[in-house]
Amino acid sequence: MKVLVVNNMAPFVRGGAEALAEHLIRNLEIAGHQAELLRVPFQWEPATRIPSQMLMARALELQNVDHVIALKFPAYLIQHPRKTLWLVHQYRQAYDLYDAGQTNLPPGQTGADIRQLIRNADDECFRDARRIFAISDVTQQRLARYNGVHADILRAPINDPERFTGGEPQGYIFAGGRINGAKRQCLLVEALADAAKEVRLIVGGPPDTANDARQLEETVERLGLRDRVRLDLRYLERHEYANYINGALAVASLPFDEESFSYVAMEAATAGKALLSTTDSGGVLGLAKDGETGWVAEPTAEALAAAMSAAYVDLARTRALGVSAKNLWESHQINWQATVAALMS
Amino acid sequence: MKIALCSSFVPFVNGGYRNIVEWLETMLLEAGHEVERIYLPEADSPDILFRQMAAFRFVDLDAADRIICFRPQSHLIRHPHKIVWFIHHLRAFYDLWDNPDYRGFPDDARHRGIRTALRAADTAALREARRVFSNSRVVSQRLATYNGIDSEPLFPPVLRPERFRFRGMNDEIVCICRLEHHKRQHLLVEALKYCQSDVRLRLCGLSAGTGYSAAVAQWAHDWGVSDRLTIDERWISEDEKAELLADCLAAAYLPLDEDSYGYPTIEAAHAGKPVLTASDAGGVLEFVTDGTNGLVADPDARSVAQAMDRLFEHREATRQLGEAAAARIGEMNIAWPHVLERLLA
Repeated sequence: MKVLVVNNMAPFVRGGAEALAEHLIRNLEIAGHQAELLRVPFQWEPATRIPSQMLMARALELQNVDHVIALKFPAYLIQHPRKTLWLVHQYRQAYDLYDAGQTNLPPGQTGADIRQLIRNADDECFRDARRIFAISDVTQQRLARYNGVHADILRAPINDPERFTGGEPQGYIFAGGRINGAKRQCLLVEALADAAKEVRLIVGGPPDTANDARQLEETVERLGLRDRVRLDLRYLERHEYANYINGALAVASLPFDEESFSYVAMEAATAGKALLSTTDSGGVLGLAKDGETGWVAEPTAEALAAAMSAAYVDLARTRALGVSAKNLWESHQINWQATVAALMS
Repeated sequence: MKIALCSSFVPFVNGGYRNIVEWLETMLLEAGHEVERIYLPEADSPDILFRQMAAFRFVDLDAADRIICFRPQSHLIRHPHKIVWFIHHLRAFYDLWDNPDYRGFPDDARHRGIRTALRAADTAALREARRVFSNSRVVSQRLATYNGIDSEPLFPPVLRPERFRFRGMNDEIVCICRLEHHKRQHLLVEALKYCQSDVRLRLCGLSAGTGYSAAVAQWAHDWGVSDRLTIDERWISEDEKAELLADCLAAAYLPLDEDSYGYPTIEAAHAGKPVLTASDAGGVLEFVTDGTNGLVADPDARSVAQAMDRLFEHREATRQLGEAAAARIGEMNIAWPHVLERLLA
């Protein structure tokens, strides 16, 4: 089948959903389809131009396409008789962010009108879609709450599971991914100061800002932990990142109120590593279960220190928790083959 | 500089219309620019034409320092620094209006009204541009005749022409382009019927539909020429193309009233091979002069057959035509440094 993947693009800015779209295309091709990407330009500032851009998406005409998979607003407004939505998210500034007073829509009647326009267009689009999938629980719940639409959850699979083969633990806990305040790598370093002497930590990934990097480095210095922490603060190549995961004793992922399972937790589970998380980490807790697949601590240095130390007490148990994490992850059957099958159904 | 390259496309249909955009993208990136490529779908049916043109008007590319527009109706996109590299009109409403085979709709008041409005909209959009370039003299003439717009012919080069080289001359004439009625592969196949020599023919290319390629294969069978003909019905790789051109006797490219010389023409010339074309091939004749750097046959099978025999039987003359074709590229200044200098001026 000729499958067109339809996504937004903010000119000269590369977003996370673009990587998702590219992997989707690759996996559609692996499944024997012809696949191509349509990127519809979208600028949400100034907000008064949102309606004309919605109209643009609606007015485009698709020829020579058998099936459409659309990911984002307003690109998903494009007309096609066989259109399936895989919603990364809606235009949140007309929904939950509007309610929270964090919208970019103008104040007063103009903003209210644009909001209503977006909702009407969404409602119509959702009604006409062949199928609708949400990429996370949060997206699913938002859709049910605001648009009264039920969507099955179809989580984004990891893209290179073959890299995460596991391996002999090299005696460190790994915290990977983007470095910023919400991901709380600093808290982990503070916890290390209270943890057992044999606990080692590697933090690896790109800092969002220079300040995020400096804060982490200063915390390590201040607590005198240089010989127990390695900070590898840069964009890691995939093989470098996978090597850190595969050699870890356990993997920490403690984002604040994450929407999804988080790639780090999914990749660690694929590698059969025990997971370390916190009680307020949202979606990560779908994989991190205290005493089953790892440790879920209160988000305090003290509680995290105890959890980190526990990983070193009984290595056989830590290994067993990792095996359970892998089993739990695999029971979800989140892989590209199943994802493509659902999106084409 | 932040440069947005804007064009229209038909999903899953490849062709020179994508090469001009994507090759320029490669060259601009190498020159250190930031480049965003925007392909929007467009279908040519008169009834939905203006709705789609409205969509192009609503595209917001203010984030770019300049935009360069290619295939219609991308020149309708608004931008304070718009450059148009015009490759063709919607020809059914312009020079092909009087050709009922290609017009595809009646010459009635309604369609004349659409024609008038379309031409007015095109002219207005082209007047917004800082500069208008075309891909050939014939397209520049049409812009002058129909829109009153002055434009500068800017001949599109191929990417990395050094890939193409001369290695030898076998017995085969190759025709590498989309397999479509207006490219007239059937003339070449029919010509085989009249050829006196052992000259062979190879067609490489893909059809948008299935009708034409099946018909060509059937004719080849009916005319008893299948033993001297190879049809490779697919979009061959650039490497394969370079290999075929290195070894072939000559190339053939006989489109009906083409807008420009066409990449097949200069790809052959870069490999030191002459092109066989037809006297009604349009822009190809801006490059090919009969008996100087190629052969120009009448658009009938007997005349094409004579030319094919001549290429086969007078190999030294064929070799000299090929050398002259290679020299013609320099005469016409078909080169990337020139293109970049003009587009970025």
